[in-house]
This record gives sequence, structure tokens and C-alpha cells, in this order.
Amino acid sequence: MISRALSLKSSITEFISSKQLLILFLLCIFTFLSIFIAIGTGSYDLSVINFLLGKTSGLQNIVLLEIRVPRVILSAIVGASLGIAGAALQGLFRNPLADPGLIGVSAGAALGATTIIVIGANFFPNLYLGSFLLPVAAISGACFVIFMLYVLTKGFGYQGVTYMLLVGIAVNAIAGVGIGILTYISSDAELRSLTFWTMGSFGGVTWPLLVPAIIIIFISLVFLIPNARKLDLLQLGEPEAYRLGIDVQRVKLSIIFTSASAVGASVALSGMIGFVGLVVPHLVRLIGGVNHKYLLPGSALMGACLMIIADLFSRILLQPAEIPVGLITSAIGSPFFLWLIFRMKRL
Amino acid sequence: MKYILTLFMAFSFQQQVFAVECSAASDATRVTVAGGSITEIMYMIDAEDSIIAVDLTSNFPERARSHPQIGYVRALSAEGILSLDPTIIIGENDMGPPAVLEQINRTGVEVAIVPEEHSVLGVKAKVKCIAEIVNKKIEAERLFEEKLDPAINKLEIASQKVLEKNTKAIFILGLQSGSPLIGGMDTSANGLIEMIGAKNVLSSFEGWKPVSTESILMAEPDVILISNRGLSAFGDVESLRQHPALALTPAAKNNNIIAMDGMAMLGFGPRTIFSALNIANDILDIND
Repeated sequence: MISRALSLKSSITEFISSKQLLILFLLCIFTFLSIFIAIGTGSYDLSVINFLLGKTSGLQNIVLLEIRVPRVILSAIVGASLGIAGAALQGLFRNPLADPGLIGVSAGAALGATTIIVIGANFFPNLYLGSFLLPVAAISGACFVIFMLYVLTKGFGYQGVTYMLLVGIAVNAIAGVGIGILTYISSDAELRSLTFWTMGSFGGVTWPLLVPAIIIIFISLVFLIPNARKLDLLQLGEPEAYRLGIDVQRVKLSIIFTSASAVGASVALSGMIGFVGLVVPHLVRLIGGVNHKYLLPGSALMGACLMIIADLFSRILLQPAEIPVGLITSAIGSPFFLWLIFRMKRL
Repeated sequence: MKYILTLFMAFSFQQQVFAVECSAASDATRVTVAGGSITEIMYMIDAEDSIIAVDLTSNFPERARSHPQIGYVRALSAEGILSLDPTIIIGENDMGPPAVLEQINRTGVEVAIVPEEHSVLGVKAKVKCIAEIVNKKIEAERLFEEKLDPAINKLEIASQKVLEKNTKAIFILGLQSGSPLIGGMDTSANGLIEMIGAKNVLSSFEGWKPVSTESILMAEPDVILISNRGLSAFGDVESLRQHPALALTPAAKNNNIIAMDGMAMLGFGPRTIFSALNIANDILDIND
């Protein structure tokens, strides 16, 4: 019985086709290409080749190393974490509409950030946290939501994923009420900050902000990817996966914690960026297949790639002004997604 | 998690404080402006030659719009601004995001934030502040002597008369899901209404809020102030007078509705003083 289960397990999951490997390889190349293009392009006039040859001025170096490079890296890791968290949560909930927002993590982070934007100045006038206050508050908000979910679902175990989804929706709604109240009591200037924050932006990121986020997100990715084969088995249903030797509780726990912290860190630094977490996994499935060993890294790469390009557009389309990146991700992604769906239907 | 939070905290104390408030810039030859009233003042004190870029709210004078556009004052882009090679950025107090200003400041570009106060004194201070920064004090003196001080004196007399008439006013910014969006306490609209000597009858709340039909009827405003853009949300003055929330107010019955350009009224540059004078004169004419 055990050996049959093991062989079944391997036949479902160990398999990653050569086509999928090729797609992953291409996505890797695209990601690196877009990183290079994004670092080489911008409104400030400088050339990366001159920089490598040491021919750039001090100011150009600052613009490149302190403003542009951290921004490109941030967009890449945020895209990767939203993409992979979306894929993992869709797998976990066996629901194609699941996205990182669904379990309430984004809403929790948003509530934390909103609190700081609206009442922070009154309550922490002497705390010189400055630009760290907002990310720290957002992460605390996300952590609080995960903690609430954990308590309410008795360690994510109570009555399966449907219950968990419903609790997530309720938590989302509660956070939404909080944000609504704060929006209502906000002053003119605060309201405008809020509006821009909810559209997302990678502007103004600095290394001291970026490094902790990179650490959090990389640790999450490292914990998430080994769950791929367990996620495949979970598609059979929780009792079946359990009988095949998967510790369903632990899988749920690790996936929710890791994706929540990755998403929390992302939202904290870049605001609310919709679309990527929901649609990128579908794009990756449409072009390659549904097994998570391919899907998880594929979604991370595709998310990174899409986000870097979207941020590039947000920087250069209206330069020297910039467009909120959330607008661009949806503007690029949704028509492409529609096109893919129609193409699949015709075949 | 704890470790990461401490890491956050540790880094956060390294922040530097920027912003030279109202002291002469070391180099004001290439100025990026973030704030409509500042652009307005720059033009009035003959400092327009040093302007290299403006933000979205800088729509007066008309020719200011021909400068490169750095976008919305609260969502500036560090690299975009630096690409214009400015020596200083002069912005209103809501310029941001702070992280972007910090990045810009680190490259050696000065960042000056002009204090904002919604009163006649506030406007005067703003003009003096900007003149100090760009070193145009003589031109500012001339602006005061020729245009501002006479207008301020007339406004003082007119607002005194408006005050004696016990005029009740409200300011409508536009419509939000059918309800008029009204300027309460601590808004530029409240400052304008006080400037003309009227009483803001809907100032029990802070900021801009949609206000219910009943509250507006209760308030019985004698005058309704509205920005041109706000008026276009209603259609025209006639449809504004027929809006259910406003139709029964004294202002709508007597057709005391004053519509003007939003930035001219609420920007709190010199134009706000001229607008306030016009509004006060309007009210006095209408009431006589």
C-alpha cells in the first residue's frame, strides 16, 4: 500500500516535462533581460556601460545605485512573491479565484498602513521611524490578520479550506471597515496619500528598506517551493492527500505563513498592486501546465518579469512624472489574459 | 520577526532631516516647483526664468503649463525630477512621498518646503518665504506695494462689512455619490470663507466630507461658493440651484452662488486674496 502510494506520488509529481523546463528557462532569460533593460532605462540620462567602465559622475552613480537599482530589484521581488503566493494559495484552496488578497493579508497590511497615514502623525509624533513606520505598520497588520486567522480556524485546521476561505472573507471585510472609517476621518492631504498608496508604487525605496524585505521574501520562497508536490496531491482533496501520506495541517500552515509574510512585506513596501497574484498563475498554467513543480517557480518568474516591465512603463511613459504601477499591471495583463483565454477556447 | 523589526528600527534612526524653510538657497538657478501657488508667486516676483519644471496643480499663469510636468505633488518621482537637473525643489507642505524627497536630497539637490497657513498672513508669509529662497526680495516688495497690500486693505474693509451682515457660507468642492462634498474645519475652503468675513456654517467636521441634504438645509447658507470644476459636476448654476440638497437654501433661492477657478480660490497664493476680495464685493452687491 505504502509503495503503491509512493509510486503514485512520484508519477503525479516528480514529472516536469521538457517543454515546461524550456518555458522556465525562457522565463528566466526574460526576467534577466527585463532586469537589464529596466536598469538601463529611465528618465535620468546615464549609461550602464559607462558605469561599468567607471566613466560616470558621482551623481549618475547615486541615481543608478541608490534610486534605480533598488527600485528594479523591489519590483522583481514583489512581482515574484505576489505571483508565487497566488499560485500556492490557488493550489491550497483548490480555487482558481484565490489570490493573496483573499486570506485578508493584503487588507491587514493596508489597514496597518492606513492607520499610520491617517492617525500616525498624532500618535507617534516623537517616533522618528520616518519611512520605516509605514512598512513596519503594514507588516504588523498582515501578521495580526494571520494570527487572527490562526486562532479563528484553530490552527488552520477546522473543517477544511472552505471554512478558512469564509473566515478570510470575513476578516477582509472587517479590515475593510477599519480602512473605511479611517478614510472617512482622514484630512484632505491624508486622503490623497491614501489614494496613491492604494494604487501602488515602487518609488522612494532605499536599501535599508529593501534589504529586510528581500530577506523575508527569499526565506518565504525557499519554504514555499518544496511544497510543490504536496500541493499537487492536495488537488485530489484533503482526505485523499492525507491518505497518501501528506501532513495536510502542516502544509496549510507553512503555505499560509510563508505566502502571508511574502505578501505582507511586498504590500508594505509597494502598496496595493492588484492583478498579479490572481492572474499570473493562470497565465503560467495556460502556457505550460498545472503541476506545481513547474507552476510555482514559473509564477514567480512571470510575476517578476511582468512587474519589472510594468514599473518600467510607469517610470518612462509620462516622464518626468510617473503613473501608479497598479494601473499598468492591470492595463498590460488583463488584455493579454483575455487573449490567452480566447486562444485556448479556439484550439 | 523581532529581529527584523529591530533591524528596521536600527536603520530608521539614520534618517536625515531635510528641508530648508525660507532661507536663501545656495543655488536657485534651476528650480522645480511642486505646488500651484508657488508657481503663481514665482511668476509674480519675476523668478519665472529659473523654473525648469512644474507639477500638475501649476496651471496659472497659462504659460506655466509649457514647462515639463513632474506629475502630482504627492506622488513625485525621484529619477524623473533628477533627470531635469534641478538645483532646488520648492514645494508645498504636502509635497511627497517623503522617501522620494529624501532620495532627491541625498543627491545634493536642495528640498525646500514652504509653510502653509490658510489666512491673509499665510499668503504674505508664503510670498516672503519664496522671495527669500530664490533671492527676489526687491521684486516681492514691489509686488506687495503695487498689488497685494492695496488688495489686502480693500479686503479688510469689505470683509468687515460682510462680517457685520452675519453672512453664512458653505464651500462645495463637487459631488460625491450624489451628496455635495463640503469643506469643513481645517480646510483651505474654511480659510477662504473666514478671509471674506463670512461664517462657515458647516464646520463641525474636519476635512472634506459629503454632507446630507438635511444638514445643508439646517445650515441655511446665504452664499454658496463652488469651484468651476465642482460646478461642472452639477452641470451649470441652474441645475445646482435645483439640486435637492440646495434648492431650499437661501443661497439658491436668492441665486447667491459664486463659482470661480478652484486654484484661484483655494491655492492660497496671491490670487486667493484677489478672489476673496471679488467674492466679498459680490456678496455686498448682492445683499444691498
